[in-house]
Amino acid sequence: MFQATKRDVRNKNVEFLWRLLFLTMTVLLVLPVLIILATLIVKGGPAISLGFLFLEPTNGMTEGGIFPALVGTLWLVAVALLISVPLGVAAALYLSEYAPDNWLTRVINLAIINLAGVPSIVHALFGVGAFVLFFGFGTSILAASLTLAVMTLPVVIVTTRESLLAVPRAFREACWSMGATRWQTIRRVVLPNAVSGILTGVILEVSRTAGETAPIMLTGAVFFLPFLPQGIFDQTMALSLHLFVISTQVPNVPEHLPYGVALVLIAMVLMLNAASIGFRVYLRGRKKW
Amino acid sequence: MKAKIVFAAAVIAGLSFGSTAAEARTLIQNKGSDTLVNVAQAWAEAYRNVDSGVAVAVTGGGSGTGIASVINGTVDIANASRAMKKKEVDLAKSKGQDPVRHVVGYDALAVFMHMANPAKTLSISQLAEIYGEQGEVEKWTDIGLEVPGCKGQEIVIVSRQNSSGTYAYFRRAVLGKKRDYKLGTLDMHGSKDVVDLVEKTPCAIGYSGFAYATDYVKIACVEKGESGNCVSPSVQNASDNSYPIARPLFMYTNGRPKGEIKKYIDWILGDAGQCIIQEKGYAPVREVKCE
Repeated sequence: MFQATKRDVRNKNVEFLWRLLFLTMTVLLVLPVLIILATLIVKGGPAISLGFLFLEPTNGMTEGGIFPALVGTLWLVAVALLISVPLGVAAALYLSEYAPDNWLTRVINLAIINLAGVPSIVHALFGVGAFVLFFGFGTSILAASLTLAVMTLPVVIVTTRESLLAVPRAFREACWSMGATRWQTIRRVVLPNAVSGILTGVILEVSRTAGETAPIMLTGAVFFLPFLPQGIFDQTMALSLHLFVISTQVPNVPEHLPYGVALVLIAMVLMLNAASIGFRVYLRGRKKW
Repeated sequence: MKAKIVFAAAVIAGLSFGSTAAEARTLIQNKGSDTLVNVAQAWAEAYRNVDSGVAVAVTGGGSGTGIASVINGTVDIANASRAMKKKEVDLAKSKGQDPVRHVVGYDALAVFMHMANPAKTLSISQLAEIYGEQGEVEKWTDIGLEVPGCKGQEIVIVSRQNSSGTYAYFRRAVLGKKRDYKLGTLDMHGSKDVVDLVEKTPCAIGYSGFAYATDYVKIACVEKGESGNCVSPSVQNASDNSYPIARPLFMYTNGRPKGEIKKYIDWILGDAGQCIIQEKGYAPVREVKCE
């Protein structure tokens, strides 16, 4: 009675084949990542030294280091975060905690999703028109970071809202029933429980901000400026643009140099990510549910 | 919360470290031509040692970008490998700008051949038939030459990779806007590589910035039209416009330059600046003695 029929055997084989197919696909997905990392480490590794990280580019950018670009990218990322995180979290708080479910809210949601789909070069042109020319910030770190912030806002809003929604409604109700106001509830109960999810959004934003080239190329980053920025109204070099420039515009660049820049860029993003992930794990450990 | 504060503090410390290290300075915005961008970068880099209180920010984007910035008044010095059109000058004036043109060098392309090649003069139309798509000249004998040491007299056509500004300019000046290069050219990745190859290859012809010439290649005297007069590339002939494959390179300022901008342009036009442009493969505005 329990002997496998022909049909059972066939089903089992088909099952196995599907499983194999999906596994192959998954492995194929990982492969490019590994290949990219391996290539960068092998070809760019020899370029990395203290001098490479902390000196200025010399001899027509074919020698020396990348310090101004490295510091420039940190500036751009930091200023973009300072703008987009408060804005994005506030918007997400409104949408998930206060907003009634009416047509206006739905239109806002739709707009946010669409904003996420706008190509970065379009954001760049918007940045030139709005921040560089209309607001008169000129090509500057401020204009570039504002452009990056606008571009990454949807990511922050969506991930923040998801993590706010993940906090059980019973928590809020318990809080309200103790006589707390909405804001007290948000401040003491909702936000502390959602912070790890919000950080995920910030991580995603950092990676994207550090890597984007098009938006900053038109709004604040320069081909060459061997000085460190002194404030948000200065222009700056940036790693991503520097990588583009030395790979396509400058003659006689030794091969290891662009690979080295790419390696530093990736390492920087990975390190920032790792720090946030570590912090998230720590927070999750304290979660009470 | 503590970790977050530490993280934020680290970022702020990193940024302020950058800030305190630099001293007060003037910033000059320099933007435009991709042909000039590497020279502009070399100038900016060298100028640090002349006056460390002046920072020159260099951006590429093409001559059009540079000229647009002059029109909008968003740049101190614009680089351009073509002159502003009258329409553009008028537009700039209507916006209250006053573009002033400075010639900072010349992009003069020399045509190189092997030392053994008996040719002296090549006309633009002969060059077009050698380099151009469906060009009729395939062998040196087609233009009445016999090159010793060149088997079969088949011309080895040396060109540049298509992303090079030299490639684009040679095409425009010799082939005309619409004609493409012949298939089967040897595309080199550097001006110097072209000269090196031509030195060693009796059948070869190639082109490069005139500053790349060596004593071991022959430089063609180029004839425009059927005039019978040919002109050799030289600083003199590039600057008086008599050499047909040369174009001036410009910098535009808003009004007569003043202060630090004037100092910078004067330095560029001085011996130090002109030696740098020569080193990068372009012709200086006048004869200069460089180390």
